[in-house]
Formats: sequence, C-alpha cells, structure tokens
Amino acid sequence: MSNNDNKVSRREFLGFTGGILSFAAISALGKEAHFEQNILKVDTNKISSEELSVDVLVVGSGMAGLFAAIKAHDAGAKVMMVSKGRLGSSGQTPFAKGIFSYDAAKEKLSIDEFVATVSRSALGTNNEAYTRQLAEYSKARVEELRAWGFFDSPLYNAAFSKPMQEREIPLIERVMITNLLQAEDGSVAGAMGFSLDEEKVVTIRAKSVILCTGAGGFKPNGFPICDLTHDGSIMAYNIGAKITGKEWNDGHPGSATNAADTFGNWHGMFEEKPSTTTVQINHHLGVDLNYAAYASGNSIKMGPPQLMSETTVAGGPYTPEEFQGAGGPPQESEEGERKGPPKDAKRPPGMSASPVGGSSAGLAIHKSEGLTPINDRCESTIKGLYAAGDALGSHMSGGIYTQIGSSLAGSAVQGTIAAEEAAKYSKTRALPEISQEQIATIKAEILAPLKREAGYSPRWITQTLQGIVIPNFVLYIKKERMLQAALAYVDELQESHIPYIKASDMHELRLAHETINMVISAQMKLRASLMRKESRCSHFRLDYPELDNKNWQAWINIYKDKSGAMAFEKQPFGTWAKA
Amino acid sequence: MSISNISGCIGCNTCVVACPTDVIRLDEKTKKAVIKYVEDCQMCHLCRLYCPVDAITISPEKSIPVVVSWG
Amino acid sequence: MIMIDLLKKYNYISFTLAFIGLPILLFALGDFPPRTFLKNAISLVTLLAFSLILGQFFLSRTNNLTKNIHKFKNVIALHKAIGYFVVGVFFLHPFLIILPRYFEAGPDPLDSFIKMITTFESLGVILGLIAWSLMLIIGLTALFREKLGISYKGWRVFHGVLSLAFVIIATWHSVDLGRHTNITISLFFIIMATLGSLLLVKLYIVSNKKKELTDVK
Repeated sequence: MSNNDNKVSRREFLGFTGGILSFAAISALGKEAHFEQNILKVDTNKISSEELSVDVLVVGSGMAGLFAAIKAHDAGAKVMMVSKGRLGSSGQTPFAKGIFSYDAAKEKLSIDEFVATVSRSALGTNNEAYTRQLAEYSKARVEELRAWGFFDSPLYNAAFSKPMQEREIPLIERVMITNLLQAEDGSVAGAMGFSLDEEKVVTIRAKSVILCTGAGGFKPNGFPICDLTHDGSIMAYNIGAKITGKEWNDGHPGSATNAADTFGNWHGMFEEKPSTTTVQINHHLGVDLNYAAYASGNSIKMGPPQLMSETTVAGGPYTPEEFQGAGGPPQESEEGERKGPPKDAKRPPGMSASPVGGSSAGLAIHKSEGLTPINDRCESTIKGLYAAGDALGSHMSGGIYTQIGSSLAGSAVQGTIAAEEAAKYSKTRALPEISQEQIATIKAEILAPLKREAGYSPRWITQTLQGIVIPNFVLYIKKERMLQAALAYVDELQESHIPYIKASDMHELRLAHETINMVISAQMKLRASLMRKESRCSHFRLDYPELDNKNWQAWINIYKDKSGAMAFEKQPFGTWAKA
Repeated sequence: MSISNISGCIGCNTCVVACPTDVIRLDEKTKKAVIKYVEDCQMCHLCRLYCPVDAITISPEKSIPVVVSWG
Repeated sequence: MIMIDLLKKYNYISFTLAFIGLPILLFALGDFPPRTFLKNAISLVTLLAFSLILGQFFLSRTNNLTKNIHKFKNVIALHKAIGYFVVGVFFLHPFLIILPRYFEAGPDPLDSFIKMITTFESLGVILGLIAWSLMLIIGLTALFREKLGISYKGWRVFHGVLSLAFVIIATWHSVDLGRHTNITISLFFIIMATLGSLLLVKLYIVSNKKKELTDVK
C-alpha cells in the first residue's frame, strides 16, 4: 500500500468549504468500519479479579519508574511496579540515548548560571526549582546507572532489571492501569487496571502512588510513542488532579518517505549505546520546521516542505537572540535526542529525504505537560499521589527543550525525589480500605467496551482523531478558527462516540482506553491552546504571534470542576499550585 | 507492512513482552510468535533487537493509512 | 574403461547438482527476508552442509546403483571427508546463529545463547539439541572407531541407526524452526531424507533376508 494514497494535501484540504467538511473527508481515511457489531473473542463472564496491596505503587517502567521503585524501596517502603509494557522497553526511555550529567568540577557554568540560562531560553516558562534539581542530582543518578550496566548495552532491560532483582521488587508487566482509587478523604488509595495476557482485572491497594507513566501523543507516525497516551494525566485528572502544560508542542521532524518508519527516521540511533552529555543550552523549537512547511507549502507546489535552511521564511516562532543559530534543526553532536537526520546519513534520492515537521504530534516538550506539582517534591494536588518524569508537569526546562540529554536525567532525578517523598508519606498512613462497591463500579467501567454488543472500534475513533488533530495547521500553527473547528470535532467524538467504544479482546480493550485518554488529551490541548492568546516557546499562534508578558507570565492548569466540566486557571510563573 | 516476518522463532516470548504496542503474541498451538496486531506496529524494532535468535524482519511501510502533519 | 570414466563423471556431476547446486538454487529463488551478507552466508553454508549430510546416504554401501562404477574405497573416502566437514560445520551451528550479534546492537550474545538453549517450550530447540548431541556421537565414534572395539559390521549398524535417527530429528528441527528453510527447501530435505532412509532400511532388510536364506540353507 502506498503512503501517497492516504495523504491529503493541504491544498486539497483547504479546497473544501470552511475546512469543516474536510475533517469529515480525513475521518473517512480510516479503513475500519464505523459502528458495527462487537464480535467478542473473550468470555466476559470469566474475567477474574486479583487484589494486591503495597505501600508505594509505581506505575510505569521507564527511567522515572526505575528510580521511583528503587529509591522508595531503599527508603524502607514496600514497593511494587506495574507497567503496561516492559521494564526499560516501553515508552520513550528505550529510545533516549543521551543523559545529562552535570559535573560541578568540570563545567564552566555554575548551577546558578545554568538555571539562569535555561530560564532565559525558556522565556520564563521553566520552573526553576526543577531546573536546579536536574543539575544538582544528575551526576549521582548517572553514576548509579553506570554501576547497573546502563551504558554497556543499547538495550536497557538487563541494566534496569539488575537493581530491581537485587532488591526483589515485585514487577507486574503488561498490566494497563486505567483508574486511580480514592479514599474517603480524597487521598489516593491505589489503582486498578487489566492484564493484556490474562482475562483479569487487577486491583492494587496502596498508601501512595507514583505515576511514571510518561507523556503521550496521538499515536503519531514516525515517533516511538504509540504506547504513550497520557494515561497517567487522565487517570489523575479523573480523580481531581490538576494538569498543566497542555499547550506546548514537541516538533520532532520525520521523513517524507515511509513517514511511519520510526526506526529508519532515527538513522540507527536506537542501536547505539547511551552516553552522557554536558551543559549545552539551546532553544530547540522543532515547531519552526512546521512553520516553514506551513508558510512555504502554501506558495509552492504540494509535496513535502523544504528544509528551513533552504527556504527563508519570514515570521514564525520566536527564538531569543542569545540562542539563535543553536535553534532550528539541531546539530548532531553528542546529542541524545537528535532532532534531524545526521549529515552523513544515507538519504533516499530526491527531495523526499527532507525532514518534515511534526512526527510526534500530540506530545509536548519533555516534562512540560502532566500533573501539576504543588512543591519541588513531585507531589500532585491529590494527597499521596506523586508523579515523576514526563508524567509530571514540572516544567523542568519549560515549554521548550533547552538542555540536551536532560529528559533521561530529569526522569531519574525526579523518580528519586518522588520516591523519597512517597516512602516518607506512606509511613504515616495505614493501608486504605476500599469498598467492594467501588471496586465493582470501576471494574464495570474498565470492562465496559468488552460488554458492548455493538459500537465504534477504537481504531476508527483514533484514526478519526488523528485526521483532526495531527495536520500541522491545527496544533502546530495555531489559530482561533481552526482550533475551534477541531475542538468541535473532538468534542463530538467525546460526546457521541467514546460512550460507544467497543473492544473484542484484551488488546482492543487497551486500545479503547488509550483512545479515551487521547480524546480527553486532545480536548485539553485544543482548549489550552485557545486560552493562551500569545506565542511563547513551542506554542505558536498565527493570530497572536507576539510574546505577551503582561498577561501570560503564567502556566495553565486544567482540572475537573464540581460539575465534572473541564476547567482552566492561570498559575503565575514562579508560584506553586494549591492542592 | 511494518513487522513482516518471523522465521526461526524458538518461542521464548521475548518479543511479545519487548513490543511496546503489543503487536506480537505466542500462538497457543505452535508456541511460536505470530504477528497478531500488525496495524499497531510503530516500527521501533525493539522486538527485532531483543530477539535472541534474530528471527524478526521489519519493513518500513505501515500497513494502514498514515496520517502525517504536513500537507 | 572410458565408458566407466564417463559414468563416474556423470555420477559426480549429478551428486554435485543434487546436493550442492539444487540447494543453492532453492536458496537463491526463495523469498527469504532481507538479511546482512554474513547472515545470508551463514544460512547458505548451513543449508549446503545439511544437504551434504543427506547426500551421505548416497555415498555409502546403501547406494547399489554405483557400486559397479566406483571403487567402494573411493566412495567411503569421500563419505568420510564430507562427514568430518559437515560435523565441523554443525558443531558450530548453535553458535553461528548468535555470531552476527557480536557485530550489531542487541542483547548480549552469550545471554542470547543461554536463552536459546534453555527455551524448552520449543520443540525446535529440543529437537536441535538432541540432533546436535547425536551428531557429536556419530562424529566421535567415526573418528575413534578402531578404539571402540566393536566389529566393523556391528559398527556399521550402529552408525547407520544413529544416522537415521539423527537425520530424521535434524530434518524435523530444520522444518520446525525454518530460519534457513522455506517450503521448497523443506520439501527437498524431506524427500532426500526419506529416500536416503529408505535406501538404508532396504539395505538392512535385504541383508537380513539374505542372512535368513543362508541360515535356512
């Protein structure tokens, strides 16, 4: 099947009246049938239940999860790790190859200067407490990783397994957590989910939960995040947590040919062993590539856009002068997260080898979206609930990627801090009681897609959602009319399709819950983008292209109000949210 | 079409767990890995890299329509 | 004399074509996944070595068709040479699969090897382990036949029966795992293994019958 069959050019797209009609056209791309009978492959009456209990429950098995589990154990807590995937082999961790290690003895910049420079690049969007932590503790975490053999192999499972096995920390893989449990006082009381391999619902009672669930996207083509769907943010939002940073955008480019070939797009980097990085502060937009594509694509014939360096495009996202030249498609160097193809990479003939923007659609900048912290200890607005890594909206580097290799390092640092806090907190608590009624209600909610006799397949809803929110003129090059139009469609999916989402087996049940999470995340992203009427870092509004320092020295928190509606608030930079 | 071939599988289950998007399962009868949900393959090659006997082949084309961000 | 030379030549050519040419052709025509040069080379060597093992049936006493043309001594010399060569190749066989791992990213080759030989859920692996052990016994007993202290006739039966077991198990292993084989190559192996086995079985039945006849007399 040729990829070209499935692309809809922007010109074609805009040729339709309004743009509204074209959404429907893109939605029709999906080859899955729409509403149809649910032919079950599992016996829903035989789905068993398992109940476990622990002091500190770590959800997620990437870099943050690893440190959260190890350090909570070392702080004396009974720990359990549960993951939708596999230790060190799911989420973004397996693909990150650079880890920042700040060595005070060798670096020219002091920690104070490092924080100040990051803040200038991030235009104030970073949370300085978390920026500072990164520099302070990265080296210690890197040394621990070195001792576990992390730098000896391109594959991380063995190195991650070593400290887990030495401490005999229970690890449950291939169980997707979908719901957080809440005690009567509103504090977190555990989590529930289901197994991919067995027909089983799992309930884990816990005194404290650390979400290390990573970030997410719209299962975009060409970036290895198709298993990340903001699960942690959405389950926390559902029990009342505040979520931040939804307006930021990651702008990793992809290849025009075989756009979905994640491995090929990264030019062999997945096969490299990880290495450390030193201070190198940039203003890595990524979204500027999207702008170049958008701006030049309208005036030249259809096809993948040229490299930005080849076409001078006026306007577009602002890069502070100090960081100009270091922005744009970054150089290769020892960078962990190379954002453009290396110069010596073998390119297929023709301009088709040009990088094109936005292969990571739906993902924000590392550590900029997720649970809103109420302090510098990774604590969320829900008592007993912590988050670390990309699941925490720590704004460690703000709404822009500033320090190469800081993502892995930040996850390790935050995992450790969250673990210490969660272990301390769990000592003050008894194991929460959860009524069988609450468990039964959530179990029914989890299994609902399996029990529908007919409905929409999760793939169809996902593909429809992708058609609405992935095109670069929606969430990369933002403008009021388009954001409103897209939001109308996503709201429609939420109201009229999600209630009828179906699943025929445990794999599809996972897809169904991921789809539910992605739709909520899309609503958050569109609404936050509408609210922020300025341009800053990776949030670019074509209709408000300037910085607005008067009104927008603030982050946006999203939460459920008393009526259950999605509510928004501003939180001034440099302040903490209230629980 | 994404992950395209598994030949020489010894049924060790490594690829099943290594796949972030749950594409591969062991066949109950033959006890060998089968490509069960190819549409969800993100072509990250983790299954291939983790396979102890290098049995997996992956092609760069996606098996279902690809939505991209540019026009 | 010239006639016999010609026949000899034809025999060698047909043997070469059947057990070297044909597998190469089948490998070249087969729809195998694209692999590196090293991996393809390993696959081809493995295929050829196994094909030559099957050819051993035809380079022995079982093959009456050629006994008037070739000196049996020469046939056995070839049988031995090929035998030691293929035992050598297949001695390395379990290690060759992980050899390319030393040149690429992936799990530790030694870990992979241990994982492979301890995956007892897999019929293919178990068959392979049995076949590999049998082959070692066959190779070693052939090498040290004179020190074993059994009669030549006894050794021949021992060698024949072990070889029969080995070929059946090894063919099953190759078809079950199928890394180096496809349907046509599998069929080729099965046909050649069956033919060879039948020749061997026929030899025993016939010689037993002869024995019975002599006993009656």
